[in-house]
Amino acid sequence: MSKELIRLRDLCMAYDDELVLDHLNLYINDKEFLTLLGPSGCGKTTTLRIIGGFATPGSGDVLFDGVRINDVPPYKRQINTVFQKYALFPHLNVFENVAFGLRMQRRPDPSDPKRKSKLPEEEIRQRVLEMLEAVSLKGFENRRTDALSGGQQQRVAIARALVNRPKVLLLDEPLGALDLKLRKDMQIELKRIQQQVGITFIYVTHDQEEALTMSDTIVVMDQGSIQQIGTPEDIYNEPKNAFVADFIGESNIIDGVMIRDRLVQMYGRQFPCLDGGFGENEPVDVVIRPEDIDIVPVEQGQLTGTVTGVTFKGMQYDIIVDFRGFKWLIQTTDHSPVGARIGIKIDPDGIHVMKKSRYSGLYGDYSSFSDEYDELDTVEPEEGGDET
Amino acid sequence: MKPKLSRFAIPYVIWMALFVVAPIVLVVVYAFSNAEGGFTMENFSRMGTYAVVFGRSFKLALIATFICLVIGYPVSYMMSKEGEKFQRAAMVLIMLPMWINFLLRTYSWMSILENNGLLNQIFQKIGLISLYNGLTGAELSYFPMMNTQGAVVLGMVYNYLPFMILPIYSVIVKLDGSLVEAARDLGADGVNVFRRVIFPLSLPGVLSGITMVFVPSVSTFAISKMLGGGTELLLGDLIEQQFLGGAYNPQLGAAISLVMMVIVVVCMVVMNRFGEGEEQAVML
Amino acid sequence: MKRQNRAGSRVLMALVFLFLYAPILLLIVFSFNRGNSNTVWMGFSLDWYKSLFQNRLIMRSVYTTLLVSLLATAIATVAGTFAAIGFYSLRRQARTALNTVNSIPMMNADIVTGVAMCLFFVAFFSFWSSFAVWFNGIQSLVVLPERLTLGFGTLLIAHVTFNIPYVILSVGPKLRQMDKNLVDAAQDLGCTWMQAFWKVILPEIKPGIASGALTAFTMSVDDFIISYFTAGSSSSTLAMTIYGMTKKRVTPEINAVSTLLFVTVLALLVIVNLREARAERKGERRAASRKLAQLLDTPKGRVLRRAAAGALAASFLIAVVLLTGATNAQPMVNVCSWGEYIDEDLITQFEEETGIIVNYQTAESNEALYSLLKSGAGDYDVIVPSDYMISQLIEEDMLAELDFSQIPNYALISPRFKGLTYDPQERYSVPYAWGTVGIIYNETMVNEPITSWSALFDSQYAGNVLMFRNSRDAMATALSYLGYSLNTTSEAELREAFQLLKDAKNRGVYQSFVMDEIFQKLEGGNAAIGAYYAGDYLTMLENNEDLRFVVPEEGSNWFMDAMCVLKEAPHKDEAMAWINFIASTEANLKNMDYLWYGSPNQEALEQYPAYYEELYEEELGQEAYDIIAAPQEVLDRCEAYLVLPLETRKLYNDLWTELGI
Repeated sequence: MSKELIRLRDLCMAYDDELVLDHLNLYINDKEFLTLLGPSGCGKTTTLRIIGGFATPGSGDVLFDGVRINDVPPYKRQINTVFQKYALFPHLNVFENVAFGLRMQRRPDPSDPKRKSKLPEEEIRQRVLEMLEAVSLKGFENRRTDALSGGQQQRVAIARALVNRPKVLLLDEPLGALDLKLRKDMQIELKRIQQQVGITFIYVTHDQEEALTMSDTIVVMDQGSIQQIGTPEDIYNEPKNAFVADFIGESNIIDGVMIRDRLVQMYGRQFPCLDGGFGENEPVDVVIRPEDIDIVPVEQGQLTGTVTGVTFKGMQYDIIVDFRGFKWLIQTTDHSPVGARIGIKIDPDGIHVMKKSRYSGLYGDYSSFSDEYDELDTVEPEEGGDET
Repeated sequence: MKPKLSRFAIPYVIWMALFVVAPIVLVVVYAFSNAEGGFTMENFSRMGTYAVVFGRSFKLALIATFICLVIGYPVSYMMSKEGEKFQRAAMVLIMLPMWINFLLRTYSWMSILENNGLLNQIFQKIGLISLYNGLTGAELSYFPMMNTQGAVVLGMVYNYLPFMILPIYSVIVKLDGSLVEAARDLGADGVNVFRRVIFPLSLPGVLSGITMVFVPSVSTFAISKMLGGGTELLLGDLIEQQFLGGAYNPQLGAAISLVMMVIVVVCMVVMNRFGEGEEQAVML
Repeated sequence: MKRQNRAGSRVLMALVFLFLYAPILLLIVFSFNRGNSNTVWMGFSLDWYKSLFQNRLIMRSVYTTLLVSLLATAIATVAGTFAAIGFYSLRRQARTALNTVNSIPMMNADIVTGVAMCLFFVAFFSFWSSFAVWFNGIQSLVVLPERLTLGFGTLLIAHVTFNIPYVILSVGPKLRQMDKNLVDAAQDLGCTWMQAFWKVILPEIKPGIASGALTAFTMSVDDFIISYFTAGSSSSTLAMTIYGMTKKRVTPEINAVSTLLFVTVLALLVIVNLREARAERKGERRAASRKLAQLLDTPKGRVLRRAAAGALAASFLIAVVLLTGATNAQPMVNVCSWGEYIDEDLITQFEEETGIIVNYQTAESNEALYSLLKSGAGDYDVIVPSDYMISQLIEEDMLAELDFSQIPNYALISPRFKGLTYDPQERYSVPYAWGTVGIIYNETMVNEPITSWSALFDSQYAGNVLMFRNSRDAMATALSYLGYSLNTTSEAELREAFQLLKDAKNRGVYQSFVMDEIFQKLEGGNAAIGAYYAGDYLTMLENNEDLRFVVPEEGSNWFMDAMCVLKEAPHKDEAMAWINFIASTEANLKNMDYLWYGSPNQEALEQYPAYYEELYEEELGQEAYDIIAAPQEVLDRCEAYLVLPLETRKLYNDLWTELGI
C-alpha cells in the first residue's frame, strides 16, 4: 500500500492526573481513510487534537513525513480540521469563511523571492468557488453561515478545510449534529470527496456504523489505549476482545472453555469452531453475532431457550432468547412468539473465540436490552477538552 | 502555540489589588485607629449614637427600592412583550437620562417641588390648594413637598429606577417562550404562569435590580442634601461630613463606612441565599 | 381584552417615561429662558448658549469630564477585554474569586469607594514623598517629584477602576458563548494566535466590547461621588461644578450645556440605530467595507492603511499629551474661596494680564475647607478662610509666611484691619472682605419686623426658617441669643446652645440647613427667615424686594476673610501675584460691587459710593452702605470669632454631628 505519513510514538497525556492517552502507538498511511472509534472519553479526540497541534502530548512524539512536529504550531502544519459543530466564523459569510485560510497564506513573491506576498484575490476567488462547487454549495457565497442548514454548514466546514489543500484532513465527529438521513448521505459524500481529493482523512466518531461504512482502517480505542486496528471486515469479523466485539455491531458474548483447537465448550456443550492457538482448557470469551444464529425446532437445536421479547425491525426481527438466565440477541427473518421454546444452531464460522481480557464479563448480555439504549448512545457528551 | 491566556489577567489582578483591595483595607485600618494612628475601638463605641441615621437611611432606601420594584417590574415585563423596535427605543430612552448628570436632574426636581415651585404653581392655578384648604380648613399657600423624606425618596426612585428596570428586563426578555407555553400546556392560567414560571425565573434580575437600587440609595448624600434640606442626615451625609464636610474625623467616617458596608454585604448574602433557594425550588 | 391590556401597558410606560423625562424637559426648556429663573418663563432667548461658551469654569469642566471619560473608557475597554480573556481561561475557583473582587467597585456604595480611594491616594502620596526624599538624597541622576497630589491622574485611575468591571461584565458572557473551537479553527487555517485573536475572537466579542465601552462611558459621565473624592482641587468634572453650583444657584448655562450634550447623544444614537437598520436591510455596508478592505489590501493600500493608522494613533497621542500638558505647562494658581465670592471678570483680567491660569474652586464653609485640607483632597495655593480658621491653621503650621515684597498692595489695606487677633504679626494673611452676620427675612411672610435671634427658634415660623449648615455659625446664633460669648469654651454654655438648636429642630422650625442654597430659597420665597451674611442679603435683594436684613439686638458675629497661602502650595509666586492683584483698589472696588461685602482696602471703602453712582447712575443709599460696611456702633455689638481650643473644637464637631442626627 501507500507510504506512511503520520506516526504517533508512545504518546501519553494526562489531564488533572487522569491518564487520557496511555502509551499510544499508531501509524497512518498517505491517502488513507482512518477512523478513530470509541466511546466518549476514550482519547480519540485528544489524539486528533494532538495531530492537529491543538494539544501537546505529555510525552511521546508526533512524526509527520518522518519529521517530529510536536512543537510545530497548528498554523504551520499541512493539516486542516473539520470541527465538531463546524466552528464556522459567525461574523463572516460563506465565501469569507472558505477564503479565510487562503487569505492567511503567504508565499514567496515571484518578483522578489525574499518578500512574501498574499495570494492574489483572483486566485482566492477561483479556488473558493471551485471548492464550493465541489461540495455542491455553488451560489451560496454571500449567505450568512447561521442561515444555512446543518448539512450545508457541514459542507462549508469541509470546503473551508480542503480549500487549503492540506495533506491530512482531520474530522472531529463532523456528522454528530445531523439527522439520520442526512448523516447517511454525508457519509457517502465524505467518502466520495476523500477519493476525489486523494488525501488522508482522519475521522473521529463513536458511531460504529459510520466507521464501518467509510473507513479504510478503523482504530478502536478505549481508556486511552488502542484495542484493535484493522479493516472494517477484520474488526467486525475478528474482534480482539469483548470490548471490540460489543462496540462494533451486536454481539452475544458467552463464557467458554477452549477444549482444544477448533472445539469450544459453552453451557457444557461442545461446539466446533474455526479458531485455534489457545491453551488446552483455557477459559475464553466466545462471540456470536446475532445474525449468525439459526432458529431451528427444539429437537434439532444445539441449545434450547425461551423467547422473552420480539421487536420488529423492518428487515428482521430482534428476538431476545433466554438461555439458562443468560439472554441472547438473535436477528432472524422468522417470527417466533414470546414464550415459545426454540432451538438454535450455530455454524462453526459464526463462532469467534477471544482470549479473556479485562473486558470479560462486562458485555454481551441482553438482559436489559432495549431500543432506547441504542438511541441514547448516539448522543455523546462533548469529550473533555479542557484547555488550560 | 497558544500563549497562556490566563496571563492576560495578571495586570488587572495587580490593578485590583492596588486600587480595589488596598483602599478597602485602608478603610478598615482607619476604622480601628484614632487620630494619632493608634489602635482603638472608640469609633465603634460611638456607633450607637448614629443608630437613628442608620435606621433612617435603611428605611428610606428600602422604601425607594420597593417603589422602584413595584414600578420597574411591570414596566420591564411590558417592555419585553413589545416589538423589537419598540424595545430598542425604550432601552435607549431609559439609558439616555444618565447622560444628563444626576445632580442636574435632581436640581430640576428642586425647582419642581419647591414651595413656590412648578407643581405648587400649577396646583395654585387649578385651584387645588384652595380646594384643599376649603375641605380641611387649613390655610396653606402651598403643599410642602421640598425638604421632606418623601422628596428624598422621590429623588432616589427617580435616579435609580433605570437600575431596576434594566436588569429585570434583560432577564425577562431572554426567557424561553416555550416555557410559558409548557406551563399553559400543563394547565396554568395567566396568573399562575406568571407566579410559578415567569416570576421565579426573573428572580436573578430582580435581585440584582434590588441591589443596584438599594446600595446607592442607602449611601447617597447629594440627593438628601438637595431634596431633603439637610435637616435629616442620611448615612452618606454623615460619612461625607467626616471627610470633606463640616466635621473632620476620617476615622469615624471610615468606621461608619465599614459598618454600612458590612450590613449591606450581609443583606446581599442573605438575599442571594434566599434567591438561590428559590431557584432550586423552581428547578425541582 | 388583550388589546385593552396592551393599551394599559402603553399608558403605564408612557407615565414612567414622563416621570423620567419631565425634569429633563424642564431643564431644556429653561435653557432658552430669557431670565435666570428655573421656574418662571420670561421669554425665548439664546443668551445662555452664548454665555456658556464664555464661561471658562463650565467649559473647562466639560472638557475635563469628556477627557477623563474618554480616556478612562479607552483604557478600561482595552484592559477590561484582556482581563476578561484572562479570567475566562482561568480555572473555575480562581475565576470565581477574581470575579468577586471585580464586582466590588460595582456593588460597593460609591461613597465608600470614593472615600477608600481618597484615603489610599493620600496614604500613598505621603509614602511616596518620603521615598522620593530618600531616593533624591542617595543619587542625583533622576530627580523624583517629592510631592504628588490628587488631580487628573488620580481621577483617571479612579474612573478606570470603576469602569473595568463593567467591561468585563459585558465581555465575559460573549467569550463564554463563543464556540471554543473557533480559535482552533482559525489557527488550523493558518493564523498565529495573535492573528486568530484579531480576526476571530475580536469580531466575536465585539458587541460585548462595544456595550461595555458604552456602559463605562455612561458611568464616567454620570459619576459624581467618586470624582468628588478623588479629583482633588486642580481638576473638576462637570458634575463637581454643578454640585458647587447647586449649593447656590445653578446658572442656566448649565442647562444649556446639558441640553447640548443631551441632543448630541440623542442624535448619535438615532443615527447609529438608523444606519444599522438600513445596513441590515440591504447588507450594503458589508459590501462597501469589503470593497474598502480589498482596496486597502493592495500594496499601495497597505501603505495607505499603515499611514492612516499611524496618523490616527499619533494624533490621539498628541492630543492627549497636549491636553494634559496644556494644563500643566502653563503657570497656574489654585484658589479656593467661597461661592459667589468674587467678580469673575477679575479672574479673566488676571489671566490676561499675567498669563497665569486661575483654577478657582469653592468650599462650603470654613469647617469644610479644613476637612478638604486635612484629607488631602484640597490641593490649593491660595485659600480665603475666616479669621478664627486662620488662627487655627497658623496654630497647626499649615500656612506659609507671605512674601510681602511681592505684595506691594498690602499697603493699601486699612490699618483698622491689619494685625487683628488672628494674625497679630501680619505674617500670614491679606484681608479679602469683611462683614456681619444677621437675619434676612421676607417681609411678607412674617407678622412683624424681626429684631432678635429668637425668631430662629420660634415655633410660629416652623418650616420656614433656614439655619446655617456649619457648626460655628449655627452655634453662634444660639450663643448670641442666650447672651453668651461666641468664643465660650464652657461646655455647659455650649450644650445649652446646642439644646436650643436641637429643640427647635425637633419642633420642625428648620426647613433646612443651608449654606449658599439660601440664595435661591429666600429669593424664590420658599422660606421666610434665614441667618446669613450681610453682603449676600444685598445680592438677594436684587432678586426679591421683599427681603429685609437686621443685625439682631443681642449682637452678632463680625468676620474677616483673608487670603492665605498654604505651606505646601506648589505655586507660591503665582499665589503672591494673585493676592497682590486682588488687594488692589481696583479689584477691591469691583469685588465690593459684586459681593456687597465690606472691603478692607481703605481707598476702595471710601471711593465705593462714587464708584457705584458712576456705574449705575443712581445714588447708593446710606442704609445699603451701612449693610455693606457696618458702622462702628454695629461692630461694637458684634464679636469676632477666635480660634477655639482643641477640646472645644472636638465638642463642636460632636455636637454638630449629633444635631444632624
